[in-house]
Amino acid sequence: MAIITLNKTPARHAPLSETSMLGWMRKSLFSSWFNGALTVFTLYIIYLTLEGVYVWGFADATLIADNRRACYDNSLTGACWAGVIDWMDNIFYGRYPREEIWRVNLGGLLLILWMAPMWMRKVKGKIWIGVTVVTLYPFLAGYLFAGGDKGLFMQLMVAAALVAVPANLINMLLGLFKEHSLGQALQSFVAKFSRDEKVQRNLMLALVALSLMIAFVYQSQWQEEVVSWTKWGGLFLTLSIAGIGIACSLPGGIILALGRRSKLPIIRILSTGFIEIFRSVPLITVLFMATTMFPLFMPEGFVLNKLTQVIIAVCLFNACYMAETVRGGLQAIPKGQYEGAHTIGLGYWGTMGFVIMPQALKYMIPNIVGSFIGLLKDTTLVSIIGLFDILGMLRSISRDVPWLGLHKEPLIFGAIVFFIICFSMSKYSRHLEEKLATGNKN
Amino acid sequence: MAENAKTGINERIRPVEKFNFFQDQRVRSIFYQLITLSIVGWLGWYLFTNTTENLAARGMSTGFSFLSSVAGFDSDFKLVEYTPGIGTYGDIFIIGALNTLYISFLAIIVSTIFGFVIGVMRLSNNWLVSKVTLAYIEIFRNIPLLIQIVFWYIGVFSLLPVVRKTLDISFGSEMLLLNNRGLYMATPVFGALFWVTALAFVVAVIAVLIMRHKAHNTQDTSGEQTPILLRSILILTALPGITFVLTGSPLSWDMPVLEGFNFVGGTTLPPSFLALLLALSIYHSAQIAESVRAGVLSVSRGQHDAAMAIGLKPGRVMALVIIPQAMPAIVPPMISQWMNTVKNSSLAIAIGYADIVSLFMQTGLNQAGHAVEMVGMTMAFYMFISLSISWLLNIYNKRVQLVER
Repeated sequence: MAIITLNKTPARHAPLSETSMLGWMRKSLFSSWFNGALTVFTLYIIYLTLEGVYVWGFADATLIADNRRACYDNSLTGACWAGVIDWMDNIFYGRYPREEIWRVNLGGLLLILWMAPMWMRKVKGKIWIGVTVVTLYPFLAGYLFAGGDKGLFMQLMVAAALVAVPANLINMLLGLFKEHSLGQALQSFVAKFSRDEKVQRNLMLALVALSLMIAFVYQSQWQEEVVSWTKWGGLFLTLSIAGIGIACSLPGGIILALGRRSKLPIIRILSTGFIEIFRSVPLITVLFMATTMFPLFMPEGFVLNKLTQVIIAVCLFNACYMAETVRGGLQAIPKGQYEGAHTIGLGYWGTMGFVIMPQALKYMIPNIVGSFIGLLKDTTLVSIIGLFDILGMLRSISRDVPWLGLHKEPLIFGAIVFFIICFSMSKYSRHLEEKLATGNKN
Repeated sequence: MAENAKTGINERIRPVEKFNFFQDQRVRSIFYQLITLSIVGWLGWYLFTNTTENLAARGMSTGFSFLSSVAGFDSDFKLVEYTPGIGTYGDIFIIGALNTLYISFLAIIVSTIFGFVIGVMRLSNNWLVSKVTLAYIEIFRNIPLLIQIVFWYIGVFSLLPVVRKTLDISFGSEMLLLNNRGLYMATPVFGALFWVTALAFVVAVIAVLIMRHKAHNTQDTSGEQTPILLRSILILTALPGITFVLTGSPLSWDMPVLEGFNFVGGTTLPPSFLALLLALSIYHSAQIAESVRAGVLSVSRGQHDAAMAIGLKPGRVMALVIIPQAMPAIVPPMISQWMNTVKNSSLAIAIGYADIVSLFMQTGLNQAGHAVEMVGMTMAFYMFISLSISWLLNIYNKRVQLVER
């Protein structure tokens, strides 16, 4: 016998243990007596830690004082942040002349402006933004930071970068409001003058050449005071070395990775050997090699400054790690993609450039961010060989007469700075990973 | 692939293969390789001639004969006998290499154990424990190791009490003493008959192994479990203990004793050693914890549910079902972390622990000045270690592949 009702039985409420705060606590904090004890014990440890940190870092801390003695007069048990605050400019900019600091800030601002459109959904032509930021921005920023006379190559690159800055801005605005790229806008603009495609192309080239020329003339008048590399320092130097390192290591890593996967035995062996040698030694030995052996490698009378030596070493070292990242990305591409590219008649470079690399680079972005974090953390090593990066600056606070022996606070401050930068970047890369992963399944 | 297919079609149409020198792929590949080789060869030759010219111009000698010349400086931490003024640069190299290996070995062991514990705690179903370990992992992974090392050295171990106010961390037995000059440990001095105790211990271990084997067999055949933990502990402690007492306690301790301004006797670990060990262990335990977590999560949820369904307790589910299956995913990243530990121990140079980099490549190089040879030897040492570790990894991977389908 079946009992049939026409009314649907209403769904029961979720049990209290699933919805209420108390239920959640019972489930995830006090599920057994052991778990309960663990929770109480952990809470106690958290309390001890937080209380210690609060008392030392906030309640008893001294923020404003003239020297370490004044800090002690204020409180013996608290932190002396006054020293760190006093040195704040040095920590961020090193010994960069104070009246020229706007150049560093402008360089940073330009980078942010340049990169920002990459995160805007509506903006088109992101590949070009990426390419110019790696190829042109370093020269503009380099001149901005170093100043002095420009060589011809430098002039050309700076001029190109000066064209790229407004082009990028216009491209961003066009993308945001009209949803098409600068290239498309230019194309429709020249189409008004002529129907002939050849004429159109020549017109476009002429436009680009004209703007380059204007920029060239403009930049030849632009002269900044020289700031010697010995004055560079602090977080600015750390970020510069890491930034140049990542910009150089990307092309280097791609070449090395392709070499390692090449079918030509000599090229494969050479690339593999190069990658493995640099990956199996610590960075500090490579830095030592750069500072002690590069002078011997160079012809008589040719002297590289220490910063250049360090940058070359960092680039070489990081290119090898990047090569492995790229190789991982290449391995993630299914074989069918290679075969498909061959089938439509593409050669090696066509296959790599148009089919494989664009896909592989997408896979690699999270890992590239990861290796940038690693590189940023590793850059602190340059303080060992005598550059005043952020760690070098933090450690010299304790040698400054008013703050003699102030070690802990600067180091903790540096740790906080690095934590903020690295943690937010790794969170972002994890977010990217998730975003790209779902994009692939569909 | 496409090329093969193309030639296949060509052959059918045109059986005689025409050899075109400029279009042939084999010729081209040889050509590319020759170009690469000549560029690399030229670069190598260029650097080599420059170096020899520079060395000649500066009047510096080359070759490895400096290794047998006498070194005039001392190392504050050494595992082998060495006297400055008598020992050679070769000895310095060996001291540095051993110190690097010693601290890396200890750091690897500590960080692996810590990493496993933290990685499993990260997966705890206790929300609070999981979040606390997450904080630990994120904090120590995202702060540069160098800052951590310097912090432990300057901020903690150098601020310990002075010799007069030494801390006793062995509960009053004065066997472990800590002050700002390092950790002083009592060293065991083995008497003449101590080998009997050692032998007894070996016998006990063998007995326990046999018992374990038997217990496993019983479980496999009849399904009955034999409780052997208590018995094993009893055998392992009682047999050597009784032998030790019967042979007249042939063990004494070389205690650190305060003489004048410093402690004498026992073993001393300098603060730089302790700081480096602590920093490496913490930093790499956070990294290993992440790979343990990732490995455990790679085991499918069904395995966990099935193990729970047959009535295993949560702890045993982890130990008997999840971890063994997670091992192939955990071990490779863990071994590469070991490699990183060895490489990162080179940061000792920042706090003056006498590892190969700071003792041989810095102090030694400043004294002897053979830049090319000394940097080369140091790099070769690290390369040797890395190659050995990746060889280990390959063996493991092969074994795992055999077990897996």
